[in-house]
Amino acid sequence: MSNVIEQIESQIAKLSTKVARKNTGLIRTIADGVAKIEGLSDVMYNEMVSFPGGVIGIALNLEEDEVGCVILGDVSQLKQGDEVATTGKLLSIPVGKALLGRVVDALGRPVDGKGPIDSKETYPVEKIAPGIIVRKSVSQPLFTGIMAIDSMIPIGRGQRELIIGDRGTGKTTICIDTIINQARINKVGLASGDKGFRPVYSIYVAVGQKQSNIVRTISALEAADALQYTIIVAAPAADNPANQYLAPFSGAALGEWFMENGMDALIVYDDLSKHAVAYRQISLILKRPSGREAYPGDVFYLHSRLLERSARLDGKGSLTALPVIETQAGDVSAYIPTNVISITDGQIFLETDLFNQGIRPAVSVGLSVSRVGSSAQIKVTKQVGGKLKGELAQFRELAAFAQFGSDLDAKTKATLDRGARIVELFKQPQLNPVAIEVQASVLWVLQKSYFDSLEVKHIVTAANSLKDYLTSRKADLLTQIRNEAKLTDPIETGLKAAADEWKNTFSAK
Amino acid sequence: MAADKQTKLLAKQLFKLSVVNGVVSPEQVAGVLGWVEKTSPHRPVALLKAYQHRIALELAKSRAEVEHAGPVGDATLKQIEAAMTKRYARPVTATAKANPKLLAGLRVRVGSDIYESSVAGQLATLSV
Ligand SMILES: Nc1ncnc2c1ncn2[C@@H]1O[C@H](COP(=O)(O)OP(=O)(O)O)[C@@H](O)[C@H]1O
Ligand SMILES: [Mg+2]
Repeated sequence: MSNVIEQIESQIAKLSTKVARKNTGLIRTIADGVAKIEGLSDVMYNEMVSFPGGVIGIALNLEEDEVGCVILGDVSQLKQGDEVATTGKLLSIPVGKALLGRVVDALGRPVDGKGPIDSKETYPVEKIAPGIIVRKSVSQPLFTGIMAIDSMIPIGRGQRELIIGDRGTGKTTICIDTIINQARINKVGLASGDKGFRPVYSIYVAVGQKQSNIVRTISALEAADALQYTIIVAAPAADNPANQYLAPFSGAALGEWFMENGMDALIVYDDLSKHAVAYRQISLILKRPSGREAYPGDVFYLHSRLLERSARLDGKGSLTALPVIETQAGDVSAYIPTNVISITDGQIFLETDLFNQGIRPAVSVGLSVSRVGSSAQIKVTKQVGGKLKGELAQFRELAAFAQFGSDLDAKTKATLDRGARIVELFKQPQLNPVAIEVQASVLWVLQKSYFDSLEVKHIVTAANSLKDYLTSRKADLLTQIRNEAKLTDPIETGLKAAADEWKNTFSAK
Repeated sequence: MAADKQTKLLAKQLFKLSVVNGVVSPEQVAGVLGWVEKTSPHRPVALLKAYQHRIALELAKSRAEVEHAGPVGDATLKQIEAAMTKRYARPVTATAKANPKLLAGLRVRVGSDIYESSVAGQLATLSV
């Protein structure tokens, strides 16, 4: 009997004296959130390194006799000579649906005071983007709810569409509206009981923004009841550059989890200009050589490896990216803007002039493109909006000339009149995404010249009244348009009846 | 003041000269020191400091520092020497050093690797 006990005891002894090996190093210098470490001979690139006091760092520079680590967290307790150890793990963050409705930092830790997040899985922050074979071309739409975009610069699931413009041109607003629109569509779709419905989950990554702006965004999403489908990753301006550098990659990991698990997600990087600045700061502290505008040479690789992670995967889901770039005085030829333009599948260009003229959203139709989205556009939008972009371009061209001449021939006048009305029709207040079926109906009404008899200054009121009329009185027709997604004879009959009825009530006022 | 690039490079070259078959050779080190004295290169103090640092790191790789809470016998040290010599494929000598903070068990450091089988170490891993 005692023999058995001895056996068990020796087994326990063997287990409990199991030797743990770790690879260590000593802090040689520490400054500006970066530690130079000597030792750590086994460290991997991007590996998590543990510092005293539970602080985590990532190994970014592997040199012959020292390792450069950015520190994610409180550096005030760390000093020269402290011992650090490798962890054998690449940086990972918690992922999954448990994060929906939450605000987290770059490491996925909650910062909203709503308690711990119960997530079961983790996912590496840096990951090789999906290869060529598994990718599928973009063919399903992602509606922003912004008429000018959905009708002329359509975006598809898995696409990367850049939002670019100066400060205060409404870039963030477009992204927030798009997230709100996804929430609205999700609610309608999930309530319809349609088995094939694919909700879109949103991730909003705030990099280098003022805390107050992030709070404003969160409350806007909360007020629109969109937070439940959204994860917010916040690395505000006051956060250290390492967290700002990391946040977009953490967001991508969150989004990739949805994509890998057969779901669709949308990610907003607001904005990558500030991300590049944070990366430049880290690189300068790490003494990496710098190039154009003092950015390190691999800043292009930084953004391309981030944006390549957006895709539509065969047999799985998709990750659509809306990266934001802030330009200075509309200069799109600066280093970071040109880089990101070349990596994305198109751009939505916002202009200060338009914004100041009251044309909001200030989308410059001529300079904006979507290179892959039109194959994802639904048929009805193509039918009613296919010619809009051309008509607007003609209008802009003629409008420039019309300033000088007084005598205009009838045809020119007609083009100008129509263009002016289209511009008015596309004006849209913020936080007010319009359902695609309502957009299509309004554009059909425009196409059938119902607006021609109205004065240009009344178009905005008329369009709003028409939208109200359709949503409150013609819900069945709208549902029919949404489900069929193309113009059919019964739909056109329904639209005609609705437009006539609306026109009567509207002009009677 | 930290050594500049050239000094660092020279220190590295001198260090390479001092290692023969993977082991720091006292004769070679003496030779290097003699050379430095004779030729008095640029910034000799910084150079010697950088050189010393490299030699110290290299020597640490051939030394197993055995920290222990309770007593360690010579037999255990010999065992550790043999195991580490095999593991790193270079002669490793073990030295003992008392450390009551470990509570019980051992901690062996070779270069930048630490092998831990102390109770304190296990408690620490549990706490993270
Ligand atoms: N469509 C719109 N209609 C009215 N105001 C708008 C619209 N879009 C943006 N704004 C206002 O313009 C300001 C700047 O918008 P914001 O999205 O923060 O710009 P950016 O992100 O480009 O700096 C905000 O005060 C916002 O309320
Ligand atoms: Mg903004």
